[in-house]
Amino acid sequence: MLPADCSRRLVAELQGALDACAERQLQLEQSLRVSRRLLRTWEPAGTLAPEARLEPETKEEDHSPACTPGPQDLKELELLTQALKKAVLARKVTSKAGERAKAPSLKSGSFATSPGMTASTPSWAPGQAGSCASEAKPTRGIRQTTVPAKGHPERRLPSAGNRARVGVGARATRPGPGLRDQHVALSAAPEAPESFTLKEKGSLLQLPTAFRKAASQNSRLWAQLTSAQPRDSTNATAAAKTYFLQQMQTASGRPGPVLSAAEVEAEVGRLQEACSLLRLHMKEELSAAPTDWTQEYRCLLTLEGLQAIAGQCLHRLQELHAALAEQPVAPCPVGRPSRAPPPCGGGAGPFWSPQLLLYSSTQELQTLAALRLRVAMLDQQVHLEKVLMAELLPLVSSQEPPSLALCRAVHSLLCEGGERFLTVLHDDPADS
Amino acid sequence: MGRRRRLVDPAAEAGAGALPKVIAALSRSLPAGPSPEIFRRAKFDRPEAPALWQLLFRLLSPRSADGASASLALEAQVCLVKSALRSQGYPRLVLAQLPEDGSRGSRELLLALSWLLARGPLPEQLLAQAHVQLGDEIPVCECEALASPGPRVPHVEAEGPVDIRCVQWLMGRLRFRWRCLIASQQEQCTLLSKIHLYTRGCHSDQRLGHLSVAETEMLRDPEGGQQGCGGGVGQSLDLAYPKSLHSGQVPEASGMMCGWCACGWVSAHPPGSLLEMQPSLCTSCALGCFAFQLLRRLERENTGLEAALEWRRGELVFWRWMDTVLGACPPEAPAAATQPTFLPRIAERGLGRLELAARELRALQEELCEATGRRRAAWEARVGGQGRGPQWSSARQALQKAVEQELAALRWAWEQDRGPARPHGPHRLVRCEDEAPGGQHLRAAEVIQALRSQEACLEAALRRLQGQCRQELARLAGALPGLIWILPPRC
Repeated sequence: MLPADCSRRLVAELQGALDACAERQLQLEQSLRVSRRLLRTWEPAGTLAPEARLEPETKEEDHSPACTPGPQDLKELELLTQALKKAVLARKVTSKAGERAKAPSLKSGSFATSPGMTASTPSWAPGQAGSCASEAKPTRGIRQTTVPAKGHPERRLPSAGNRARVGVGARATRPGPGLRDQHVALSAAPEAPESFTLKEKGSLLQLPTAFRKAASQNSRLWAQLTSAQPRDSTNATAAAKTYFLQQMQTASGRPGPVLSAAEVEAEVGRLQEACSLLRLHMKEELSAAPTDWTQEYRCLLTLEGLQAIAGQCLHRLQELHAALAEQPVAPCPVGRPSRAPPPCGGGAGPFWSPQLLLYSSTQELQTLAALRLRVAMLDQQVHLEKVLMAELLPLVSSQEPPSLALCRAVHSLLCEGGERFLTVLHDDPADS
Repeated sequence: MGRRRRLVDPAAEAGAGALPKVIAALSRSLPAGPSPEIFRRAKFDRPEAPALWQLLFRLLSPRSADGASASLALEAQVCLVKSALRSQGYPRLVLAQLPEDGSRGSRELLLALSWLLARGPLPEQLLAQAHVQLGDEIPVCECEALASPGPRVPHVEAEGPVDIRCVQWLMGRLRFRWRCLIASQQEQCTLLSKIHLYTRGCHSDQRLGHLSVAETEMLRDPEGGQQGCGGGVGQSLDLAYPKSLHSGQVPEASGMMCGWCACGWVSAHPPGSLLEMQPSLCTSCALGCFAFQLLRRLERENTGLEAALEWRRGELVFWRWMDTVLGACPPEAPAAATQPTFLPRIAERGLGRLELAARELRALQEELCEATGRRRAAWEARVGGQGRGPQWSSARQALQKAVEQELAALRWAWEQDRGPARPHGPHRLVRCEDEAPGGQHLRAAEVIQALRSQEACLEAALRRLQGQCRQELARLAGALPGLIWILPPRC
């Protein structure tokens, strides 16, 4: 059994690592859900008009000239019937207020209309050709909807028609989507119009105009802003800023610049890097076999130099420690200090950048993602290794005599990452 | 007096018009920016402090805490601002001495804001933080993940002593979770790649060429609503829409019913307005729709970006004005630097890291000491008292110089701040098969290379640590006679 404080620290550390992992998994699963849904057949409620555009081409023969009014009338009529249908459905809801079952069907019916209208808007922009063919639909639709329309007050029809025309006149003609929606909404069981899958018809999608405009303006502005930045460093503005900062410093009456937590962390990070670089060099020097006295002397000088630098780094660390430790801790009602910037260097921090990341194949993307995770995992492992070393090694060395089970467990944790165990055998001289 | 005035006026007039505009631009580019009037009055320390405290709080608080922290009382915000500024190294002590109720100190707060602005590109950083992510973003480095957000309260507290097997079990669980994570990530990559492939040719922006998950999701289900959206596009914001969208007219009842709430108030939305995207919804339902919200956020960001550009163009005027503000402050007596009332608690993690670094350096120093001692002794034994004459001493000097230069270069390697050339942060993924040199864009191959070298470094570090442990444990085990330790086979 481990002592209580040691246990608490170890468990806290490991639990933190587990929680971080769980958080990533959660986010990943959410993205997976969305992506999977996108790649399946899209549900009718969200189905787009590309199928409406394609469908009419096969149904042109249905066009019966006798009952076909002019195109403008057809549009009006279609919108009118749509409105009537909604009115009917609304009536159904109010009359069956208690029945919960109806509510979802109303919703799905209504959903069918609005997404149909909006989502189809994008694909209609290029699809002018489709509108003529789709007019064949109103004939069918009208016949189907005259029955429920009877109950509707007549006086609202003309205004509805006008209103609808004004409302949609500004954009491309859109009788098509409404027609399809009637199919979906009227027949309670959807007749399963041609399903939409991303695989087959993905390249037909188009983003809405308003959205496109906003997005392109967004990327243009970001490009301007990021290109404007480097220029700053060479002109009067930068000088003015530096002057201001200096004035702030002198006006404060403090002797030297205050160390911010961020700077301390950055310096500690640099010193850690220094340590690993020094160690690398030391290894190189020690492993090189000197052939003559010059090389040997050089090796010696280098090692001594490395030692001196290590001493200086250590001294700096001790200074930093003293500076940190002497600041009195004051209670603050809301405990959390602000987050120190990450160790990656660069002033901006891990913020979004307008620069794109181009990949050329699934394989490449997978490699990239896997490597990222591997680096994160390794970094966590290194950190945990250091923590475990700090906690467990003193334990083992302090026990007299060291317990076998503990030794074995510690060895597996520290030296094999917990993956393998060693075997301990009793060397009993009695048997032989 | 009059003559002097006349001389001063033209210059002042030239600046007078520009300054309010620049301040207004600054205010628009910051979230929750106060009106320019507040800035002007702050120079004279007029009591408009709460607005400035809140602005600073908004700027300095960690992004993730936005939702919860918006409701913090003013006193708590004041405290946090003070501690955050202090931990960033704010030089002036007057700030720390301001009253906690946040009623005074607008001039000092103005100075603090300017200090933050001078130190870094604050508006750009904030805009990038709040950027509407339309694409599939992937971070190219792990710094966001590696800098864990401070001491987190573990929900599983170990009560009392714990068996080492519990620790082993936790480690095993961790390994398993990582494996699951990697597997899920691979699947996500495949799906992403497919979506990008299938929507090729759809995007209006030629550089991108295909839709992202977020954009496709918006087309699939523009209403989205509360079900959430993919790819991090967004939590819904408050629905208080700006006046500019409101047509100002009472919508006439039409025969059309709102597709969502079945009211009869669907009116013709003005062409070119954002509401136009949802013609079959009444205004309030249209505003709640996911696609519309996305658009609104984009528009808001565009406004902020334009304001930031305007600010950048004219900020010199602002800095000149700030010099006058600083001049208007009473000089701070050095004796006042006695006991600051509030100091931040440097995150314990910082101290912990320092300890670990110190430990490593000490270990390194010991090894070096040992190695150099041996070598020096061997050298002395070899060369001994044989003075080798002038040739020898000149050669020695040359060697010393060479070694010094090498070591100086070595020092430079870590003392130099890493240049901004290394990209990091989330980037939008774009599938692009042609081999043309990306120029301004990152290629996956480069990132992979950088990650591989990082991986190699970390693996080496891990192996080294494990080796150290092995040695140490072998030493301890040596104390137990009569046992054979069979190490597991290295695979």
